[in-house]
Amino acid sequence: MKIYLPILLAIAAVGIFTGSVRAADASAEFNTANKLYAEGKFPEAAGAYEKILQSGEVSPALYFNYGNAEFKSGNLGRAIAAYRRAAQLAPRDAEVQANLDFARNQVQGPVLRETLWPRLARRLDVLTLNEWTGFTAVTLWLMFSLLAARQIRPALKAALGGLTRVVVAATILCCACLGVKAAVHFSKPIAVVVAPNAIARSGPFDEAQNAFTGHDGAELAVLDQKNDWWEVTDGSGRIGWLPQKEVEILPGD
Amino acid sequence: MNILALRAVYLVNFLNDFGEMTRFLRNRFWSGLVLAALGLSGARLNAATFTASLDRDTVALGESATLSLTFEGGQPQNAPTPDVPGLQIVSAGNSQNFSIINGQMSSTVTITYNVTPRKTGEFVIPALAANIGGQQLQSQPLKLTVTQPNAPPAQAVNSGSEVAFMKLTLPKDKVYVGEMLAARLDIYLRDDVQNFGNFQFTAQPADGFIIGKTAEVSKQQVQIGDHIYTDIILSVALTAAKSGPVSIGPFTASAVVVLPSPNRQRDPFFGRFGDPFGMFGGGEQKPVTFATDTLNVESLPLPVGAPANFNGAIGDFTMTVTTGPTNVAVGDPITVRVQISGRGALDTLTLPDQPAWRDFKTYPPTQNLKFTDSLGLEGVKTFEQIVTPQNTDVHELPAFSFSYFNPETGAYRTLAEPPVQLAVHSGGTTPAPVMAAAKTANSQNPPPPQDILPIKDRLGTLAQAGPPLLTRPVFLAVQGLPVLAWLAAFVWRKRADNLANNPRLRRQRRVAGLIESGLDDLRRFTAENNSDEFFATLFRLLQEQLGERLDCSASSITEAVIDERLVRLSMPETTLAGLRELFQLCNQARYAPLRTSGELAAVIPKFEKAVRALQEVKA
Repeated sequence: MKIYLPILLAIAAVGIFTGSVRAADASAEFNTANKLYAEGKFPEAAGAYEKILQSGEVSPALYFNYGNAEFKSGNLGRAIAAYRRAAQLAPRDAEVQANLDFARNQVQGPVLRETLWPRLARRLDVLTLNEWTGFTAVTLWLMFSLLAARQIRPALKAALGGLTRVVVAATILCCACLGVKAAVHFSKPIAVVVAPNAIARSGPFDEAQNAFTGHDGAELAVLDQKNDWWEVTDGSGRIGWLPQKEVEILPGD
Repeated sequence: MNILALRAVYLVNFLNDFGEMTRFLRNRFWSGLVLAALGLSGARLNAATFTASLDRDTVALGESATLSLTFEGGQPQNAPTPDVPGLQIVSAGNSQNFSIINGQMSSTVTITYNVTPRKTGEFVIPALAANIGGQQLQSQPLKLTVTQPNAPPAQAVNSGSEVAFMKLTLPKDKVYVGEMLAARLDIYLRDDVQNFGNFQFTAQPADGFIIGKTAEVSKQQVQIGDHIYTDIILSVALTAAKSGPVSIGPFTASAVVVLPSPNRQRDPFFGRFGDPFGMFGGGEQKPVTFATDTLNVESLPLPVGAPANFNGAIGDFTMTVTTGPTNVAVGDPITVRVQISGRGALDTLTLPDQPAWRDFKTYPPTQNLKFTDSLGLEGVKTFEQIVTPQNTDVHELPAFSFSYFNPETGAYRTLAEPPVQLAVHSGGTTPAPVMAAAKTANSQNPPPPQDILPIKDRLGTLAQAGPPLLTRPVFLAVQGLPVLAWLAAFVWRKRADNLANNPRLRRQRRVAGLIESGLDDLRRFTAENNSDEFFATLFRLLQEQLGERLDCSASSITEAVIDERLVRLSMPETTLAGLRELFQLCNQARYAPLRTSGELAAVIPKFEKAVRALQEVKA
């Protein structure tokens, strides 16, 4: 144990140091991108933000600024996709929601109607999926710890009875909320059109007939996937296939 | 026999009234049957002839004539189909008759056509050739004169002799090129017309006018002469397409009217008794043709002095313009919504160029047209034009103006909206217009946002992009730990409770522990060569084990229990013998305690064997 402790501390120190160096680099690149944006060089700023994102590091502010740069560059679909990702990381950020709403108002065409589960999930947007997961995990640990304590010390049953009931109820509630959130996140993906006028076709191939046109920024419900094609439906119930390059697929919540 | 032939003729004539199927039968079967009958009767056929005739030689444009091709003495093998340019000739069916007069049989096939002229003039239907029974026959040419239809003379109208007629009027006798106006078309039906249908225009000639939609406006009753007429008023949209003298008409049309049947008045039966049940039809159908006069109008060119931004809008319009947002960054879109409403050629109306908008980038406007009348003369046209300011020096959107020519006043007019003040910022420095203010307590209806909120200055906490926690196996495995802990505690609790509630089990476990520790003691006493303690311990262990198995006090166990109780448990004799030996060794040791370590060590396996055998016994 005496040998392992210094090794573990050394590994932790290296990890912390590497992480801080990476964060410093990302922060510098972020400031550079912000400067480009302030100079009105929106496409260049969008490229700089995207470069940070490609490194695998994300933050709500990064997605938010990237969305702004894409919006100012006229790429409405990419802006909406970025705002949605920012909102998934920071659902309580009013600025993200404001810009997302503003961008959505610029989109032509029918608005995607929310079905029951996404509407329920929207009410749970006070927490991210990971936050709901963590919160539920804590209540689970607490609940099983209390139950185990009651087994080990039956004398505590009476003392812990009220607390146990509250914790069990909280756990069930959290599990239900997490279930709704996860169901929408994983089973109701959204396709955001990122091309100026994406032609949705009646089949997953280029020669298929035109089904409808999805305008830049249109949010479509994903129904199926085949190779590099996504079957989508729009707000008016029309169904068609869009190629991968013309859409960005996002989780449903 | 002649009577028989005449009956056959009646039969064939009866069948002539049927449709296509009976016509086939008539042509193929019944003809053969009749001819066969006639052949049997010895009747002789006349020589074949072929004639063509028109029911009249002069028709007005819009009316139809009937052309009849008559074949006597046989059936044509290939009936000729006339084709004359300017005439539409459509088959109207055929008929066939057989007759025998004084032994002379005659067969007549008649093919009829409706001939509808498409223009006025002299037409000649050429001689037609037909083959009848191997004879090549030819008809004579026919002349048809098609005259210009004319409105009925005023005298005929006023006398009430016209069952139906039509009248075209224009609201003015001078129009401007491009002006839209509505012509009025009155269709008059005399009061004895019971029904009116199948109305369709046969010609709507117009020289210098473009004819648009036609819509029924209203109906009214008017008195003309001694008769009351129903006046059906239609409106026809017209657009003057050229300057100079232009004309419209004569419009011609055809329809079918139902008049009271004259036969009913003359029929002795119905004349006497009437038609109390209404079973014999409501009247007589009569085709009628309509024609209007030709109206000549002077079309004036637009006067000189058109405003610079006049782009051809003619009519009478009003305009509203809205602009937003007004607080923007360079390059941000501003929507200019122009709504032009009124009467005129809205269809072709376009937004004029705005030279004063040079500091803005403009995009092609979208347009939406909604007519408020059925003719397409009045409505609202909405344009949405996107403009983007190109620099921060822009402080206003210059005035928007739209010019049009009003044909009613004969003058140009310009509609203008004043300049719109703008606040244009450089990109990226647009202040947050909404969010901060929207959170104040007193703002009940915050204005809609004009732009996106600015970027964030701080990167915030970075996180590694990755799948959600919920899909990470390690995370899920860790969540299993509290469940396992609770399960373990649960099982432990169950076992503890079982033990607490079962004294025999508790004793069994205690004795098992005693045996374990006792064996260690026995080995230690063997090593120490302590015979007394060895056998004392051995005896006590035997008592404890037997007492536990027999559920009685350990102190009451002696060698006697082997024969008294163990024998009844059906234990193997070898085990019983081993136990007896162990008891006897213990008894002997009390009197002769000195034993060697080897002898003591030899006892331990025997004891272990006996204990295992006892533990296997069902208590």
